[in-house]
Amino acid sequence: MTSTMRHSAPIPARAGLGLRGPHLAEVLATRPAVAWFEVHPENYMGEGPALAALERIRRDYCLSLHGVGLSLGSAEGIDRAHLARLRRLVERLEPGLISEHLSWSVSGGIYLNDLLPLPLEEESLAIVARNVETMQEALGRRVLVENPSAYLRFRHTTIPEPEFLAALVHRTGCGLLCDVNNAYVSAVNLGGDPRAYLHALPPFAVGEIHLAGHFRTERQGRTLLIDDHGSQVSEPVWELYAEALGRFGAVPTLIEWDRELPSLDLLMREAARADGIARRALDGADRARVA
Amino acid sequence: MPGLRELQRDFRAALLTGEASALAPFLLGDDIRWESRLDIHRNNVRGTLSTVLVECFPAVRRIVDARFFDYAADAFLRARPPVSPCLHDYGADFPDFLANFAPCHDLPYLPDVAWLEWLLHRAAVAAETPFLGTASLAAVTVERTPVLRLHFHPAFGLLQSPWPVEHIWEANRPGQESDAPIDLGSGGVRLEVMRRDGSVRLRSLDAPTFAFRRALHEGVALEAAASAVLALDPDFDLAAGLSALFGEGLVTELST
Repeated sequence: MTSTMRHSAPIPARAGLGLRGPHLAEVLATRPAVAWFEVHPENYMGEGPALAALERIRRDYCLSLHGVGLSLGSAEGIDRAHLARLRRLVERLEPGLISEHLSWSVSGGIYLNDLLPLPLEEESLAIVARNVETMQEALGRRVLVENPSAYLRFRHTTIPEPEFLAALVHRTGCGLLCDVNNAYVSAVNLGGDPRAYLHALPPFAVGEIHLAGHFRTERQGRTLLIDDHGSQVSEPVWELYAEALGRFGAVPTLIEWDRELPSLDLLMREAARADGIARRALDGADRARVA
Repeated sequence: MPGLRELQRDFRAALLTGEASALAPFLLGDDIRWESRLDIHRNNVRGTLSTVLVECFPAVRRIVDARFFDYAADAFLRARPPVSPCLHDYGADFPDFLANFAPCHDLPYLPDVAWLEWLLHRAAVAAETPFLGTASLAAVTVERTPVLRLHFHPAFGLLQSPWPVEHIWEANRPGQESDAPIDLGSGGVRLEVMRRDGSVRLRSLDAPTFAFRRALHEGVALEAAASAVLALDPDFDLAAGLSALFGEGLVTELST
């Protein structure tokens, strides 16, 4: 495959890896057999040596940009300067997918480095929809919005999250990034059925799946799951992943790992496991359709 | 029911200051108290931002020890929370914050060590910017020369300190830790930080070279910078000093 073809190719419906700074040099040197990479654009907006390395990697791999700082849920609107930086990166890297989160992190111009929860009701839906439209207009393309991990709930939430996301898709034409680990973590933390959650999402809007590890802790004698991207994908999340594929079909899947980053080899084994599950799940689905 | 803007303001205050009384009525608790749930987010924000500072200022952290560093970092996060999601910019104010942070006044060299670590960090991440060769200087007309201003590469930085901060930093940088005593009276430094061919380099400059580069870096026009350095050292070789700036790839733009 020539590099020109790769440039225009969309992200393949296979398992890719979240690419983090410590692995840049190894990827450049060894060109491992990874289907595609995803990065956080915020880490490259300084336009320093890391971006130069990423541009070289981009010549040989499909790339997705997964933002963590645009704050689509901010009532004060999104930061135009940050959006302009994102646009410049999109122009330089020509990513196959661009995504952000159903969350907020900016208030009063202060950036809180976390994906913070929103009350899900009509006002927040209107705000997120307006911000997604601003983002899509600035970038000139459709973006995916990801379901975050939830730890707390607001009293005035009136719309279930899958319905909220479906309404967002309907209003803005955006797509969804279904983080299966987040769906599981939120269901355990707030009470709920993660399978029912997946089935309540509009299936044709889902353009990407995320998988990651979480850790289990306790508060007041009850289990809380923390989405720290610091370990292998857990067994219940793998099971839920097969369920998600049956519902959404073949979509690009990402292995995310941030804390205590392991070797590239271990990440590639996680990606191979995801690909194996996808082959079996989709094969089964095809047979079911023929029957 | 609060509007989303007010709710986010109260949420922000709860995360940064711990004051959650305005937010409390809108959070649901159950088997797990809402305070415990909110703490997950507070820990995420503090944890990730203090990691940014730990990675940027490892020598400062070794000098003051991890516990004091966490205490100072926490005070810094409250006083100067980030205003941009580009966290490679976060920490630029930390040296200045330490200079005014009463609990470390008995370590007067600490802010300068922090400055050095900040310059080294910035040099490593600064934008790749094309620099001008010596030929671009030759192209400047005689009339423009005195009022010429030089724009420096974003990786370039200068630090003058009355303390031996290079030694202090060397003895406390990761992987090179030493407990050998350092004579704080052994003299000050004039240091230059730059990135060349992908690696960050730190070196000492003599007094006139430092003065010349600092004046130009601060935006002083060429003639005024030259007069100042000649007042300091009448034998300073201006032509060589100027051409070195281009030869070393420090200059990215000229203006008048």
